[in-house]
Amino acid sequence: MSAGVHIIAAPGDIPAPHIEYGQLAPMLIVFGVAVLGVLVEALAGRPWRYRIQVPLAFAGLLAAFVWTIVLAWRHEPFHVAAMGALGVDGPTLFLQGTILVLALVSLLLIAERSAAHFTAQASALPGSEAEQQSMSAGITQTEIFPLMMFAVGGMLMFPASNDLLTMFVALEVLSLPLYLLCGLARRRRLLSQEAAVKYFLLGAFSSAFFLYGAALLYGYAGSVRLSDISAQAGQGAGGETLLLAGIALLSVGLLFKLGAVPFHMWKPDVYQGAPTPITALMASCTLVSAFGALLRVYYVGFETLRWDWRPAMWGVAIITMVVGAVVAITQTDIKRMLAYSSIAHAGFLLTGVVATSRQGLSGTLFYLAAYGFTTIGAFAVVTMVRDAGGEAAHLSRWAGLGRRSPVIAGVFAFFLLAMAGIPLTSGFTGKFAVFSAAVDGGATPLVVVGVLASAIAAFFYVRVIVVMFFSDPEADGPSVVVSPATATAVALGLTVTVVLGVLPQPVLDLAGTAASQMFVR
Amino acid sequence: MLMLVLFHATVALVVPWALRHDRRVMTYVAALAPLATVLWAARQTGAVAEGRPIAERFDWAPDLGLVLQFRLDGPAWVLLLLVGGVGALVLAYSVWYFGQPPPLGIGVLVAFAGAMTGLVLADNLLVLYVFWELTTLCSYILIGGFSPEIKEHRRAANQALLMTTGFGLVMLAGFVVLGQAAGTYTISAILARPPQGVAVDVALVLILLGAFAKSAQVPLHSWLPAAMVAPTPVSAYLHAAAMVQAGVYLVARLTPAFAETGAWRPLVVVVGLVSLIVGGWQALWQDDLKRLLAYGTISQLGFLMVLCGAGTRTAALAGLALLLAHGLYKAPMFLVVGVLDHRFGTRRGSELYQTGRRIPFAALATALAVASMVGLPPFLGYVAKEAALEAFTHGGVDVAVLAGVVAGSVFTVAYGLRFLQAAFGGNTETPTVQGLKDDAVSVWQSAFRGADGARVRLPRVALWPIVLLAVAGFGAGLVPGLWQEMIAPYADRLPAVGKGYELSLWHGLGLPIALGALTWVLGAGLYFLSPRLRPVWAALSRLPTGRQGYHVVLKGLFKTARGLTRRTQVGSLPVYLAVIVLTVLLLPGTSLVMALNRGTVPSLETGRVQPWDHPVQLVIGVVVVSAAVMAAWVGRRLSAALLLGAVGYGVVGLFVVHGAPDLALTSLVVETLTLIILVFVLRRLPERFPPLRRTRAARVGSAVISVCLGAFVTTFLAVAVLSRQYAPVGPGYAREAAEEDAKNVVDALLVDLRALDTLGEISVLAAAAVGVAALVLTGMREERPRHRDVPEPAETPGGRWLTAPGHPPLGPPSVLLAVTARVLTPTILVFSVYLLFAGHNQPGGGFVGGLVAGTAFVLRYLAGGMRELSAALPVDASVLIGGGLAIALCTGAGGWLAGGNFLQSTVLEWTWPVFGHVKLPTGFFFDLGVYVLVLGLVLSLTRTLGSSLEKEPEKVSGGAS
Repeated sequence: MSAGVHIIAAPGDIPAPHIEYGQLAPMLIVFGVAVLGVLVEALAGRPWRYRIQVPLAFAGLLAAFVWTIVLAWRHEPFHVAAMGALGVDGPTLFLQGTILVLALVSLLLIAERSAAHFTAQASALPGSEAEQQSMSAGITQTEIFPLMMFAVGGMLMFPASNDLLTMFVALEVLSLPLYLLCGLARRRRLLSQEAAVKYFLLGAFSSAFFLYGAALLYGYAGSVRLSDISAQAGQGAGGETLLLAGIALLSVGLLFKLGAVPFHMWKPDVYQGAPTPITALMASCTLVSAFGALLRVYYVGFETLRWDWRPAMWGVAIITMVVGAVVAITQTDIKRMLAYSSIAHAGFLLTGVVATSRQGLSGTLFYLAAYGFTTIGAFAVVTMVRDAGGEAAHLSRWAGLGRRSPVIAGVFAFFLLAMAGIPLTSGFTGKFAVFSAAVDGGATPLVVVGVLASAIAAFFYVRVIVVMFFSDPEADGPSVVVSPATATAVALGLTVTVVLGVLPQPVLDLAGTAASQMFVR
Repeated sequence: MLMLVLFHATVALVVPWALRHDRRVMTYVAALAPLATVLWAARQTGAVAEGRPIAERFDWAPDLGLVLQFRLDGPAWVLLLLVGGVGALVLAYSVWYFGQPPPLGIGVLVAFAGAMTGLVLADNLLVLYVFWELTTLCSYILIGGFSPEIKEHRRAANQALLMTTGFGLVMLAGFVVLGQAAGTYTISAILARPPQGVAVDVALVLILLGAFAKSAQVPLHSWLPAAMVAPTPVSAYLHAAAMVQAGVYLVARLTPAFAETGAWRPLVVVVGLVSLIVGGWQALWQDDLKRLLAYGTISQLGFLMVLCGAGTRTAALAGLALLLAHGLYKAPMFLVVGVLDHRFGTRRGSELYQTGRRIPFAALATALAVASMVGLPPFLGYVAKEAALEAFTHGGVDVAVLAGVVAGSVFTVAYGLRFLQAAFGGNTETPTVQGLKDDAVSVWQSAFRGADGARVRLPRVALWPIVLLAVAGFGAGLVPGLWQEMIAPYADRLPAVGKGYELSLWHGLGLPIALGALTWVLGAGLYFLSPRLRPVWAALSRLPTGRQGYHVVLKGLFKTARGLTRRTQVGSLPVYLAVIVLTVLLLPGTSLVMALNRGTVPSLETGRVQPWDHPVQLVIGVVVVSAAVMAAWVGRRLSAALLLGAVGYGVVGLFVVHGAPDLALTSLVVETLTLIILVFVLRRLPERFPPLRRTRAARVGSAVISVCLGAFVTTFLAVAVLSRQYAPVGPGYAREAAEEDAKNVVDALLVDLRALDTLGEISVLAAAAVGVAALVLTGMREERPRHRDVPEPAETPGGRWLTAPGHPPLGPPSVLLAVTARVLTPTILVFSVYLLFAGHNQPGGGFVGGLVAGTAFVLRYLAGGMRELSAALPVDASVLIGGGLAIALCTGAGGWLAGGNFLQSTVLEWTWPVFGHVKLPTGFFFDLGVYVLVLGLVLSLTRTLGSSLEKEPEKVSGGAS
């Protein structure tokens, strides 16, 4: 639309858009590697694909991460790049760096070969002969890697988007591959496909709301750029209803992605049905990305309207924390339990958003990084506990795991304690950072609810620990399959959880520096 | 001080592992850690006594206010002695108690000692909280970890953990609020400049709740008696001497600043007194000696709460002295129960008979401890209790407190006696003075009058910790001046009533000493009278207890959680969707309705909104709406698809009436093709929708929600359009198109103004075609079908009309369809070419043209199946797709040849003999590429889906085919 307006303003020559390739390189690298991955699928022979795809994906993510660090290091004056479409600033670089590292760890799980998580052939009907044949042929589905790279690219773009249309495109780019990836589980394929369909339909609906909200905001401000919307709102240009309804509808799309109540219902079903490495990717990277976008929208676009949206956000944060924590208690499936825990954590993170301060921003950034690693580690452990039917996800199957393999059970217990926010784990530091920011921002009641919800949450985490350590193992209980890639992922998750709990200051500094200039406009 | 804590951590981690082969040596070495605490504290005695607290600081996470700050002052010094001393002795005792001490248990005990040391020394609220929760975690493992297979043990451990962590978190909330109000989390700084305000008052209540739960105060006490399932050394250390005193310690730390603030004093004193009396009363009736001691601990902690929270100098002196005394007398009492349990196999008073004669030295040591507890001179307990009674002798409200304290002390004396007789004596059912005396004499004789055959030899390591602790209580009572000196710097910060009180063994005759004597007499009386009071106890115990409260809360939580899960997580997509939609309706929806009512948005009744421009719109509207409603209603899939098609055609009609022929044309063709493709897919699905499993109410609900959403979107659209502030961009485009000499604005946009976008879009179309083909055909593991592979069928009715008739995809072969297809194909193709050429100035264009051409071939396919389709257009669809893309790209490159930019359009003009003057913009070639590509796309989709139809659907085991 803006281009059309441009033509009218200056008929004749159309200047080529100015794009800062250097500053957008992390995204471009990831997308480039994704496209290369597609080509590999098309051109390389079947036995070669895995061997090419995995190093390619690793190299791409690593290069993008290094480039992100260089960008952050050089400390150039941050600004909006690509004709105002994408912001390059401290918080964005922090979020992108976090997403890239978390994606690297998830990739370790996804690339795991000794315990195949993905179906050999997605198009073969579950239970059909074709499925049998493709399984016995030992086919590996290597399309996963380009799909994942596209999703990661979208995730990098989502929090960087400085206008609502770019943000919508990023949302779709990150969502569509995820919908597909959710349906690719090797075991219990019908459950997996049902999860994918649910996620797709609900996601499509919420994206539609997002778009509708963006349209209303465009109607209000005459622009989809967040800074223009903010400027218009600051002038009080009239048409408040359009503005507020636009914000509300836009929020539906964003809150859906991060699984805040009442848009959370997809989360348990999808987390349970999706292949566990993909669940890990969604629970960490998608959450970081969605929160990044939410922060940008609310801190840049609607900052001047803080007093209008804060009450609603209070409500969402409160019910998210409470529902997530309370419902998790009754879960008997580990993955579902972790899904509800993720919902509760989304609520805790929202308290940081409500703070609308520099401190709130840096706290949320820190929490996201800390939680991302913990949750990947937890899901990685889930992939290791297996029996004849694949992952032994039912809680009762974990009884006595502490006796059978104390190290793995101990590590998992540690992750759970971190999620519960026990001191000396990253969970405590993160929770403390957002809660104290919220108190500073005048949201003390919210923090009190948050603390109570944490207490309830602690209850179900401890329940799992009790089952693992204090119950007798079943005779035919699951065995723990340790393979190098997954073990590395677990070790990384554990290390970060410990380090951010014991020596959080360097990362706090990083988040603080990243947040010091807030988002660019 | 940090080193001290780290030393504990190291010992806890290393020693159990390094010395796991010799568990006894391991335990003794582990005991060095708490011993180091004692030695270190002893070295600092001088500094503390001079009121020069030692402080240390280490930045941990300064951004969050997490700075490791430690500070040693009087109260910390007292508690440190206790934590270290009792810790070392309990560890030594464990060697005997466990025989082969479990490495995990010993490690955790040491870790606990470290955490407790850290808690005591912490000078930062957050650091204190961290250590606070660490002690809770240690307690959890120590309660449940020794015999986790017993359900009761697990439940007790959970209860302790939940109560203390839960309220610990509440306390953290209080800390945060307090810290924010004060601007610092450093305790000494907060105490120096205490903040004020409502927030602070609330914060203090939250903090007190945490302290009460930790110190097992009524009504948050029920976890402590339950925790008595832990091994005795654990009970002695955690649940008597160290951990449970943490709550009292915290209150003592904060009292100098906040005693006068808000609800602090009333809350602390009332809760403390209630605990003092309730605990004492309950202790009187317990048969299990450990439970008796647990209730006694609750009672004594209540007493300590009263003293430490009262906020006067004398009370504080008494409180800290009693804190030390309590640890010194309660720990040996626990340890002796462990001895009884071990030697005689039970710890129930009713099952132990005359055991004092068999372990006389232990019994005597216990008697010393009890003497300190009931406040007999010259024990430390006496010194403390005298000061305590003195603290409340100043009239006013204090009288009530004093009465409570005296009543509590009476209970203390009574259950102290009961403990002695139950543990070592004979009959406890009907206690008499004579019986007690006989028991005492027999113990004495057994100890000092020659060898009694009944005596059981106790190893030194079992006996000595008991004796040492009990004697320490006696010895400490002899040097009240030392404690006075150590505690005074702290107590002096509190207001003193009357002259400066000093801890001492003799203050002369006065009210305190009289009251003390009174408690002994009344206590002994109560003990002997107790059998008659048993019915009262039985009646009272029907009252709700804290334990029941805990279970009610827990059950309620479970019930809520189950209910919530059942209602919200039904797994049904319609429900999920309904929730999302309802939220949308509720928030922006209500705001819209309110705005309409208030008139803050353009009203819909200003005349700018009219029902229709033309009556036909009404008719079409009715058709669209009814078709939509029926589509949701019908049971057959095909009917639903057709009705959806009707909705689409209705919208096409609206476009036509509104004067958008171009849009209508495109929409029409897309609608048709979509319908055909949908029908292909439906062939593989059952004819009817599965039977409805949702209730009528649910369906009505969904209908209402859908209607509301429709209304919401419509209204908002109207409001948004009416609120327009900016000039529409349409006229600008019209001007642009005119400059390019094109009358069809849409086409000018597509092929010229935004040609690069169109190029991108057609590339996506091409990719989509390839993708669909790949997806559908990979599952079939077969070569892409070619027309010559399709087998020749038998004679079909349409044979004469069609080139190569085969099986039509839908139903039996139909002559009518065959004739129509054959006759119409050329017409449709010509029309499509017309659309292509007309595009520049008339409705039409390459996209529509391609789609129309596609329908011609689809028609042939419908009449004669795959064979006929292949015969009608014997070109591979991929060639068309690729060719179309190539034409478009070449046109773009042509722009360079003409000396302009990529895709820049020029107008070719020349004169031909017959045609005359011809003007042809290069945009036409671009449109031609689009035409060919779209035709290829339609063909590709038809062929792919068609060939998948001609194969029998795969049989799926178990599922519907």
